[in-house]
Amino acid sequence: MPIEITMPQLSDTMTEGTVVKWKKAEGQAVKSGEEIAEVETDKATMPMEAFDDGTLAAILIAEGDKVQVGQVLAVLAGKGEDAAAVKKQYAAGKGAGAADAEPAVEDQEAGQEGTTSPDAAERAAVKDKKQPPAAVADVAKSVPAGGTPERVVASPLAKRMAADVAVDLSQIRGTGPGGRVVQKDVETAAAAKPAEKKPETGTAAGLAPRVVSGQKQVVLMTKMRATIAQRLQASKQSLPHYYETLDIDCENVLAVRGRLNAAMEKEGVRLSLVDFIAKALAVALLRHPTVNATFDGHQVTMYGDVNLGMAVALPSGLIVPVLRGVNQMGLKEIRLRTTDLIDRARQQRLKQEEMTGGTFTISNLGNYGIREFTAIINPPEVAVLAIAAAEKRPVCQGDQVVARTMMSVTLSSDHRVIDGATAAEFLRTFKSLMEEPGMMLV
Amino acid sequence: MPEIQFREALRQAMVEEMQRDENVFLMGEEVGEYNGAYKVSEGMLAKFGPKRVIDTPISEAGFSGIGVGAAMCGLRPIVEFMSWSFTWVAIDQIVNNAANVRYMSGGQFKIPIVFRGGNGIAHQLGATHSHRMESVYARVPGLVVVAPSTPFDAKGLLKSSIRCDDPVIFLESEMMLNDRGEVPDGEYLVPLGVADVKRGGKDVTIISWGKCMKYAVKAAAMLESEGIDAEIIDLRTLRPLDVNTVAESVRKTHRCVVVDEDWPYGGMGAAVLEQVYKHTFDDLDAPIQRVCCEDVPSPYNHYLEIQMQPSPEKVVAAVKEVCYR
Repeated sequence: MPIEITMPQLSDTMTEGTVVKWKKAEGQAVKSGEEIAEVETDKATMPMEAFDDGTLAAILIAEGDKVQVGQVLAVLAGKGEDAAAVKKQYAAGKGAGAADAEPAVEDQEAGQEGTTSPDAAERAAVKDKKQPPAAVADVAKSVPAGGTPERVVASPLAKRMAADVAVDLSQIRGTGPGGRVVQKDVETAAAAKPAEKKPETGTAAGLAPRVVSGQKQVVLMTKMRATIAQRLQASKQSLPHYYETLDIDCENVLAVRGRLNAAMEKEGVRLSLVDFIAKALAVALLRHPTVNATFDGHQVTMYGDVNLGMAVALPSGLIVPVLRGVNQMGLKEIRLRTTDLIDRARQQRLKQEEMTGGTFTISNLGNYGIREFTAIINPPEVAVLAIAAAEKRPVCQGDQVVARTMMSVTLSSDHRVIDGATAAEFLRTFKSLMEEPGMMLV
Repeated sequence: MPEIQFREALRQAMVEEMQRDENVFLMGEEVGEYNGAYKVSEGMLAKFGPKRVIDTPISEAGFSGIGVGAAMCGLRPIVEFMSWSFTWVAIDQIVNNAANVRYMSGGQFKIPIVFRGGNGIAHQLGATHSHRMESVYARVPGLVVVAPSTPFDAKGLLKSSIRCDDPVIFLESEMMLNDRGEVPDGEYLVPLGVADVKRGGKDVTIISWGKCMKYAVKAAAMLESEGIDAEIIDLRTLRPLDVNTVAESVRKTHRCVVVDEDWPYGGMGAAVLEQVYKHTFDDLDAPIQRVCCEDVPSPYNHYLEIQMQPSPEKVVAAVKEVCYR
């Protein structure tokens, strides 16, 4: 991370100082303790020493200019950093004008409004990176707030607090040494968080916030979003997906559901169609173990239990809680455990073991009226079932067209493990169980 | 409550314990005829006679060894060192014998002995007479190490030390002997192994002991005017360390500064700091800071000697660092 050299306070009464002369030129090596400039205070002209080793990458204040104590005068490129890249970064940032050099408090304020006003968000982004958004892609190693791209530098307390209040640490600008995210940064971010949900100023309550016409909004990827992006891209790029779609007649299973729900009304349990799907899948998957499997590139592992991953949409992204041992559960237990898992997933309160260890995943967009869609496999699993809406459709029975409740499901399979016929056999079993639920008992 | 000097508090403790138990006696250089090199034992020879207040030659290894032997035979010696710096020559008796006899005899012998005297940097005594010995002794299993900071604690802790059946290293400071503080009339004890929260606060925990407590207290007053509310913990006993009190405080304040006059590398403060990290890592908002002596021999020059040591200003600077102020 480049080291900023700021106007030092050389006396108790000093509030501003003038750079009289630079003793080092851009590109020159600087040692800690070495004089790099002469600074004129309200009392005297004094030498200014460097506090770190490095290469003087950029001089931001010309000789003769008067600046406030704390303002950035120059930037050192540390060991292993490219002085030219650092200079470019800061030179671009300088275009933002004098505001760039204002005290850090200003930056923080901009960061806080940033989430409500796209304009301010963009300004905050510019300041954070000291360069206009257009230049972001130019610098290969642009450093996000609070550390390197690999690791967010944060105090242990800040990490714990961020987890407690569900704030994404990678989105917080650290004000500690070296950009460390500390307690007060998390508190600031947490305080700003409710503001995110408020409708934008000037829009009626209840309307979704929107980007103001004529302006644009830059949003940095959250850590969760970045993980989703990386994992799904890797899956779609490296797994040979193929898709098989099948229509299922749901009249029978809905009739059973109706009878069971009437019977369990006093218990307050209401089964959903997806509970029958989970149950039928558990039976079908154990009969077709190749589909209830994981693959690490070398060996296929098949499982004697069905751990069913269920994709859940959150405002911030996607999460897949895993219902373990569905094959051992009745419909009621499936319903109760699913409700609990999904509730806690929405509150982001799942334990690690409740998000891992899946053997098969379902993605359900039935509630949205989607007729048919495909899903991306969640590796190391080898298949995923996309469940569309159950809806009344005209269906041919013999020569008659009749209205039946139909549901289309699409199985995405990894062809390295599952061949087309294998997938089709599995789907046929699943369909037969759904269309005649009594067969699950057989 | 009467206000008395630190040295009077020490004397009261010894006198009361010698009156209470005839097995207790005092031994050391100048403790008798001269009434104590620092007048701690003033009047004690006249009170108890030469059998119980014994002047020794300048022979720390010798009279420390006699003390250990006397303790093995059932007496409860108090061995006074003019300075803990002189115990480098007695260390074999203290570490190898006093600390280990109980263990090596399978518990057949206990060693109820107190070694006491001035520790650390006093005033222009030079490099060889300014040693801080707490880290040397606090690392040894079998020893108890005590370092009071007030006359009240000095009396209560010394009485507890004299009644302790294990060897106690009792660290005073020549710079504290004139300090005055309230000490109640009559008998009281301060338990060994219990730290004291000297000042409650919410923003930072300052841990110290002995002479450096003065810097911590002054720094806390300076910090208060800047809106930083410091909690001060006086460890009082360095071994065994009251880590619960310390950890509870740091879990509350999330920040910690350890103030001691040992050297930075391998010093007592480093050992304390390690314990704090171990128990509070997930609660810390900043790396723990240490204010201690510079990594140099103690200078004779007065100004350099001051520069080399911790000060309230150095404590304030360290606190601001952990508070990101």
